[in-house]
Amino acid sequence: MRRALGMSLWVAMVSAGLAVFLFLPHFVSDFHSRDLAQAGAFFIAIIGLDLLTGYTGQISLGHGALMAIGGYTTAALIVHEHWRDVWTIPLAGIAAGIVGFVVGLPALRLSGLYLALATFALAVAMPSLIKKFSGLTGGSQGLQFLESSPSQVTGLSGKVTVLGHTMTQNHFLYYLTWSIGIVGLGVAWLVVRGRGGRTFRSVRDSEIAAVSSGVNLAWTKTFAFALSGVYAGVAGALYAIQNEIVNPLSFTVSISILLLVGAVVGGLGSLSGLVLGALFVEYLPTLSTNVSTREGVPDFIYGAAIIVVMILLPTGAGGLLRRLARPLTTWLYTRP
Amino acid sequence: MGRGIYSAAAALGALAVATGASGAGSATPGVTPTSIVIGGTIPLSGVASAYQTVGKGAAAYFRYVNDHGGVFHRKITYLIKDDQYDPSQTIQKTRELVEQDHVFAIFNSLGTEQNQATRPYLNAQGVPQLFVASGAGTWGKDYKQWPWTIGYQPNYLAEGTIYGRYIAKTAPKSKIGVLYQSDGYGNELLAGLKRGLGKKAKLIVSKQSYDATDSDVQSQIAKLKAAHANTMMLFSTPLFTIQAYNYSRKLGWRPKVYVNAVSSASNIMGIATNATDKKQTEGSISIVFLKDPTDPRWKNDPGIKLYRSIMKKYKGVQPNDVYNVYGMSVAHTFVEALKKAGRSPTRTSIMKAVTHLNVHNDPFLLPGIVVRTTATDRFPLDQARLERYHNGRWVSFGGLFRIR
Amino acid sequence: MLFAFDWTQLAQQTVIGLSSGGTWALLALAIVLIYRSTGVINFAQGEMAMFSVFIAWSLVHHGLTYWAAFFLTIAISIAGAIAVERVVIRPVEQAPVLTVVIVTLGLLFVVDGAARWFWSPETRTLPNAFSTSPITIAGVAFSWQDLGNIAVSLGLVVLLWGLFRFTKLGLALRAAAVNPDESRLLGIRVSWMLALGWGLAAGLGAVSGMLTAPALASFDQNLMQPVLLYAFAGAVLGGIESPLGAVAGSLLLGVFVNLVGTYVGWIGTDLRLPVALAVILGVLLVRPAGLFGKVSARRV
Repeated sequence: MRRALGMSLWVAMVSAGLAVFLFLPHFVSDFHSRDLAQAGAFFIAIIGLDLLTGYTGQISLGHGALMAIGGYTTAALIVHEHWRDVWTIPLAGIAAGIVGFVVGLPALRLSGLYLALATFALAVAMPSLIKKFSGLTGGSQGLQFLESSPSQVTGLSGKVTVLGHTMTQNHFLYYLTWSIGIVGLGVAWLVVRGRGGRTFRSVRDSEIAAVSSGVNLAWTKTFAFALSGVYAGVAGALYAIQNEIVNPLSFTVSISILLLVGAVVGGLGSLSGLVLGALFVEYLPTLSTNVSTREGVPDFIYGAAIIVVMILLPTGAGGLLRRLARPLTTWLYTRP
Repeated sequence: MGRGIYSAAAALGALAVATGASGAGSATPGVTPTSIVIGGTIPLSGVASAYQTVGKGAAAYFRYVNDHGGVFHRKITYLIKDDQYDPSQTIQKTRELVEQDHVFAIFNSLGTEQNQATRPYLNAQGVPQLFVASGAGTWGKDYKQWPWTIGYQPNYLAEGTIYGRYIAKTAPKSKIGVLYQSDGYGNELLAGLKRGLGKKAKLIVSKQSYDATDSDVQSQIAKLKAAHANTMMLFSTPLFTIQAYNYSRKLGWRPKVYVNAVSSASNIMGIATNATDKKQTEGSISIVFLKDPTDPRWKNDPGIKLYRSIMKKYKGVQPNDVYNVYGMSVAHTFVEALKKAGRSPTRTSIMKAVTHLNVHNDPFLLPGIVVRTTATDRFPLDQARLERYHNGRWVSFGGLFRIR
Repeated sequence: MLFAFDWTQLAQQTVIGLSSGGTWALLALAIVLIYRSTGVINFAQGEMAMFSVFIAWSLVHHGLTYWAAFFLTIAISIAGAIAVERVVIRPVEQAPVLTVVIVTLGLLFVVDGAARWFWSPETRTLPNAFSTSPITIAGVAFSWQDLGNIAVSLGLVVLLWGLFRFTKLGLALRAAAVNPDESRLLGIRVSWMLALGWGLAAGLGAVSGMLTAPALASFDQNLMQPVLLYAFAGAVLGGIESPLGAVAGSLLLGVFVNLVGTYVGWIGTDLRLPVALAVILGVLLVRPAGLFGKVSARRV
């Protein structure tokens, strides 16, 4: 009886989430859908980072670099190969997945802080590397889709028709990004729910215990990196499509930090709060410039907010949600 | 592409006007009988936030104008959004200004890559992209492709060309070493230098680039010296410029120096002079078009006095920063253009105004400089003077010339 | 001559590499110190050093002599860092490493923002501790400043070595970092030891900043950002637990990036940061303990 109630409550929550996803754009301004679409791209990257850091315990301060791989794959396919923008997304995911796998190989030998250092260095060095391969990447100017291949940009006329529905470009970007985000969340849930999740977590909690219970450590860790890379790549592709450009200045170390902050605020090791993490990093910079535009104050507020959240909510929004829901879940799952 | 009309945004714009307090019945976004709203992006946070005086100087000047009656009784509201110097964010914030804040025009947005990122969108929308705060040549050159875009300051290509021509003419036996930043700004100055040297481009014996995020250029300077250069071109930002003077002195190398206008402000040169032994900066050559507030020759100049009083009254920051002066100059030009655009300005009429400028009275520019544009000449500020650093201060020489 | 190799150029670029590496070494030392005494890496270390430079600038600007400002800045930095540790790190002391890392990243923005807020972003200079007059030997130029920076690094290495080796305080610091639980049983006030580690690292950072700023001739709020990556790379190269290694690693790194930039045409001078990245990755893969670190089995 209570089981059934719990089940229906769960279904109700998922439906409510889907309803918010479907109807939200109609309650905010058209431009706001675009803002939310950008948050969606962060959301996707944050899911991937959570799979890596939250579930297998490998810290990455370089996810912005993997996003850059995705973004630049999309840009190169659009500008050099004249692909339609949305069709580049799978390939961007695969490319970043491969790079993620390659980054994951050295990561096998690195733990904790060393991995943080190595990935941090990757994030810092990425813009210079992008600039160096200017034939492919456009150097410091980057690549501009509207200028070089406008016909590949979906929604150029301002209207997009999908399956008979006509919508504005901003709405299209919102639905595109968040549909992929929801699918990505579903996939992540499937991965961490069963045996895969147990394997991941055992690697995080104790490598020795994991190995002795038959987990292939190397495979699990690199798989997590590759999977995480796919998410980051898709996010990078969407970020590029939304902005219709890629530029090395968009993939500095700050975006890597932003993603990690989003994942931690959302709650590492759980998927339920990640949306809040994405919204946090999307709106925090704007909110902090609204407080004051005096030089330095926005940076100060941004950093202070991160610290305060970490101190007050070390388990992030996910942990908070779990704690809030505990009386309910206890009641639901205890036999009367 | 050219006709690409974002009907969605256009419809929204129309909606805003229909529901908004647009008593005049004009369909122009951002314009009401009492106000005119413009906006731009400036890095307010992050590594490039030092450039924000370009925006804040302009904002202070608009406040001054508003307190003196505005333009046709309209007060100018200038919205500054923070793009963190990230072109992706520039797009996001510019779209916000256009689609949410319904600005009349984008004004004084900062950065080459940043403005290149938004240019196709703004032109497709028919939103004026006015007085781009970047010295890239494309803002004035490519107006046929981008009719809604116009730059402001003298462009880097032209500046490099001036130095090249000057060297070819006055010192044709020079051996030139170039230090340049590895981005659009450095590359364009270098391209200009080669253009100006023309057949003498082989005078360049070594060119060394540096990444803007790196820490020092000591190695680059040693390579220029090792190439036996006797002339050093500094196409670098202020901190690296000061380093270049410092390290060349440390290497016991005293080349003739040409320093680009971004880094030749008196306070920067003063630091470079004090960091070395005075002889290192002596005889350096640059170009100048703004009145530098720290230059003693403008101490009693009415323009700089006005500048100082505005800075004081409207609580401007860093009164010694020449970028504030730049901001006021560009704001002054905008106000003049707005006057020309008529009592009920439209986006078309402001474009017509900014492409037919003839402003003689800009108090923030060197005496005699005219801000002039025509339909086919889209470089508003294209006059400058050469100056030579002598005894710790800049001395102009030669007359005003047009730089192209 | 068929092989007109410019030996002077090689020597000059090597000396310049030592000069750059000499400034990175000081921040690398601060990173090593905080790692050894608290077991974490402080990503805000560079920004805190930058903040110290601004304090020093203000003190000099208010008429203090250079050396008075120098030592007062160190004292203020130590006290300030202890206070920061008490306020923002202590609450997450028991939390996983990642939480602490994120807090230091937040701190990076806070300190950077505060420096932009309190001081305008104009270009400034700090007086030199050492003479910058050029010295030329066999066509190779350098200055007393270069030698001075390296000498200060080495002096600090000796000081740190003495601290950890001979003093009870050093022992307590190490114990608190390596095994907090047992240290607590032994009566060591672990939490305060961590704070002290922060303080000392910030003091070293202050020295690093105050010597880096004049070495780069002028500074603004971005002073230590590139230096931080080089310092990380130098510390990793030398072994992140070894003070001597940090100095040697930084010097080696300085020479390496310069020579690669000079003689590997494709890399050139604008790829120095990726070269530092490659060094970090290479060392961590081949010899994670670094050149000077002891290879030790770690508990998992």
